[in-house]
Amino acid sequence: MSAPDEGLCSHCFLSIGRRPMRVMVNGKSRAFCCYGCCIAFQVKSGKSEEWDAAWILIRVGVGGFLSMNIMLFSILLYTGAFTGADASALPGIELLLWILATPAVVILGGPFLVETWSNAIRGRLTSSALIVVGVGAAYAYSALAVVEHSGRVYFDTATMVLMLFTVGRYLEAVGRARAARDLEPLLAAESECATVVDGETEHRRSVREIDAGMRVLVRPGERIPVDGMVLEGESWTDEAVITGESRHVGKNVGSPVMAGSINLDGPLLIRSSGPGTATRWAQICRSVRDALSRRGATQRLADRIVAAAVPLVLALSLLTVLYWAHRLPFDRALLVGLAVLVVACPCAVGLAAPLATSIGIGRLARCGCLVREPGALEALARTRSIAFDKTGTLTLGEARVVNIETEGVEANEALARAAGLERHSEHGLARAISLAAAARGLKPVVTREVRIVPGRGILGSAEGQQVAAGSGPFMSDLGWSLEPSLSARARSQEAAGHSVVYVGWGGRVYAVLSVDDSTLPEARATIDALRDRQLNVTLLTGDIAAVAQRIAAAIGIDDVEADLSPEAKRAGLDRRRRFHKVVAMVGDGLNDGLVLAEADVGIAVGSATDLARETAAIVLPKNGFWMLPWVVDVARDVRKTILTNLMWAFGYNIIALSLAALGVLQPILAAAAMAGSSILVVANSLRLAGLPDPSPSLPRRPKPETSGRRVSPILGPAIEPG
Amino acid sequence: MAYYLILFAAGFAGSFHCVGMCGGFACALGRDGRGRSATLLRHLLYNTGRLTTYCFLGALAGAFGQVICTPQGSRVPLLGDSFDVAQRTVAIVAGLLMICMALQFFGHLRVFHRLSVGFAASTLAVALRSLLVAQGVAAPLAFGVFNGFLPCPLVYAFAAEAASSFRPLAGVLTMAAFGLGTFPAMLMMGGIGRILTPVWRQRGVTFAGGYILLLGLITLGRGIAPMTGHAAHAWAGGHFG
Repeated sequence: MSAPDEGLCSHCFLSIGRRPMRVMVNGKSRAFCCYGCCIAFQVKSGKSEEWDAAWILIRVGVGGFLSMNIMLFSILLYTGAFTGADASALPGIELLLWILATPAVVILGGPFLVETWSNAIRGRLTSSALIVVGVGAAYAYSALAVVEHSGRVYFDTATMVLMLFTVGRYLEAVGRARAARDLEPLLAAESECATVVDGETEHRRSVREIDAGMRVLVRPGERIPVDGMVLEGESWTDEAVITGESRHVGKNVGSPVMAGSINLDGPLLIRSSGPGTATRWAQICRSVRDALSRRGATQRLADRIVAAAVPLVLALSLLTVLYWAHRLPFDRALLVGLAVLVVACPCAVGLAAPLATSIGIGRLARCGCLVREPGALEALARTRSIAFDKTGTLTLGEARVVNIETEGVEANEALARAAGLERHSEHGLARAISLAAAARGLKPVVTREVRIVPGRGILGSAEGQQVAAGSGPFMSDLGWSLEPSLSARARSQEAAGHSVVYVGWGGRVYAVLSVDDSTLPEARATIDALRDRQLNVTLLTGDIAAVAQRIAAAIGIDDVEADLSPEAKRAGLDRRRRFHKVVAMVGDGLNDGLVLAEADVGIAVGSATDLARETAAIVLPKNGFWMLPWVVDVARDVRKTILTNLMWAFGYNIIALSLAALGVLQPILAAAAMAGSSILVVANSLRLAGLPDPSPSLPRRPKPETSGRRVSPILGPAIEPG
Repeated sequence: MAYYLILFAAGFAGSFHCVGMCGGFACALGRDGRGRSATLLRHLLYNTGRLTTYCFLGALAGAFGQVICTPQGSRVPLLGDSFDVAQRTVAIVAGLLMICMALQFFGHLRVFHRLSVGFAASTLAVALRSLLVAQGVAAPLAFGVFNGFLPCPLVYAFAAEAASSFRPLAGVLTMAAFGLGTFPAMLMMGGIGRILTPVWRQRGVTFAGGYILLLGLITLGRGIAPMTGHAAHAWAGGHFG
């Protein structure tokens, strides 16, 4: 967890940095990243009845009233309404403007001044300092002009700059909150309340106080706050946030429910199965919060640029004033300097990366993909090489009968006899054989006097004959005959990396079953889709070469390294890094933690392990392998958005700065354009939230409960008759 | 002056429309516990806030009209024509806008209504409700300021009229006349509550629609026919011409 003062803004969930703005709202202390978020939060929470502190809105409203009056009179002044006969009213109007401007500057400029001051005493200059210096200069000059009855007054400039910056920050904050919409359900785990039913009474409690065994009522439309089991009620739930599963899941008495899923239609009474802070949802929440409050590489660079820019801009503005003071009246020179200060305010630069990243994280989260490091998306976007682990990533991770070779009998007969024997065994191969028989609807032949020979095979008697299943040597030991053609086929199956089980009865071997871990049905399409995205695909596995080659051929990977220890896998990654600079590694997060940590982007698929111990930067949901190309797309869009944001922000700043320094840009227009620039960055980033869902054209794995007989769209039926 | 009196009357008539939405705010602003004068102050401040926003919009609209219609490059003879063209374009756009608003008042063009009321009711108004119940002198003023920015076909229509005056001062006065026209009804709503029957409100709205339609036609005429335009301008804005 990050330090408490490195938290997230209550409004837009962006990192608040080291100097948050703390405000009491509804009796709770809230931290905001900026003044705009503070206003927007108050406007938003104004919907609730108990909300009582409207002071910021009142300030903005009164500030608006004053500055609009000032602007009104100033427009009339500029357009020559007070010339000729009305000229005698001029000093009075100027005095009136001063009287109106003083409270306006205090009210609107206060937050900027406070921010500047609290940074200044820590020896830092922020962009607020630019506004304070600029507005302060315009105000002081105008006040002097009123007192001395000399020159023009620029109270309108001072107040309108403040007003535009305030409105700009507000609009920016509103946009940022829209960006955070996808993150809200993930971050709600910590602040969520649950309705605890204790006998006849119900009371609201924080999720943190929930423990195992408590009964919790979840009304329709509410989020289920804890993991547990349904005691009463029937409903549909939406578990997308946790599992990425977009289909609704039906729940009735006895069904397990997951914290973070939404109860859609009926009330559910559930019994909590553990503490509210130990749910996967709470873990996800902590992990996302952590990722959001840290800063990626681009962000750190932007921060440094912003920090360096402020003193530079101050100096530049001073030089501009000095330069123009020789050529223009002093008030005009001052105005040019003010325009430089206002227009060079690097707000948009600071916003470019974190906003796009947090929207990208939110977009992925909506489909159950978790990003644990802010830099991971940028790194994934840059990578040209993806390495895969095999077992559990490209394969199902469980043994299946993939081939049956027979000699003189039906495959089904051999399988039924083998299944009759193997149902007495706990071995992984035995389970595969039993499942295969069940999948074909075969009834295992009743077998008695079963004896297991450890490491070799299993022996029994059925229908008055001795039946055996096991290794080749086991059959030799029994002295059973084996047809040379069947033996040859068995050897070729072994050479392809399969485990083979010989099945025989009555002194002769009749069949050879090949058992293997089979590839994911969606693996080939996913790999093809990645290759379409100009990614170099590699298989790095600890398994033997024959198996690796066969799997790689099946799913279309050419670059294979087998027999690798974890260290050798790391070396393999290093070699690829030399060519491709940034490499990503995809694993199941169980036995490849080291390698995932070593890669520039570690991606874990469907990991059931504790999130806190995981080393992957990106975690895809269970059965979410097919989403990988989409995740790459989102990452690339995020990076593109960050770059366009930065290009816009820098390009705009440089052009506008030049115009301002040349005296072409009015300060008020500069402030409007400046606010517009930040809003454009927000709008550009918001496009990310509208990215399409992962493409359904990629084949999805059928749900486990409906997959009695798996037929792969790529490999055909799992078991081919011999 | 007669021109502004017409605008004031249009504002007054149109305020029966305001009663529908903004009147709700005025009612919600309610009475001050400290007595009648405090209540009156509260409502005056609210309406002052609203009026300020209207005047500001009027000044901006007028300045906008002036900026695009001021012949800046008069050294080039051709621009004399384009100045005229710009002025006419603004007048035509403003006139058409006002006619649309008027038609909407008569019950046609519902889409405008849905757009404005839907947006206002859902976002800003709901969000700002907290300001209505907040105590203190400044809250009603602040609410009035925000209220003035709520999308409203009446405000759009008069802002268009302000833009076609091509002068900030005329723009301010246009909006001020309109805003002051809405004062009586709005103050009444605050003080007396809903005393107006829907029938009377509908009559007021139709009346306002007629006024705005007339103004729109005159403005449009200024853009289209040169002779009528001059005549209308002389009639409508003669005192500052």
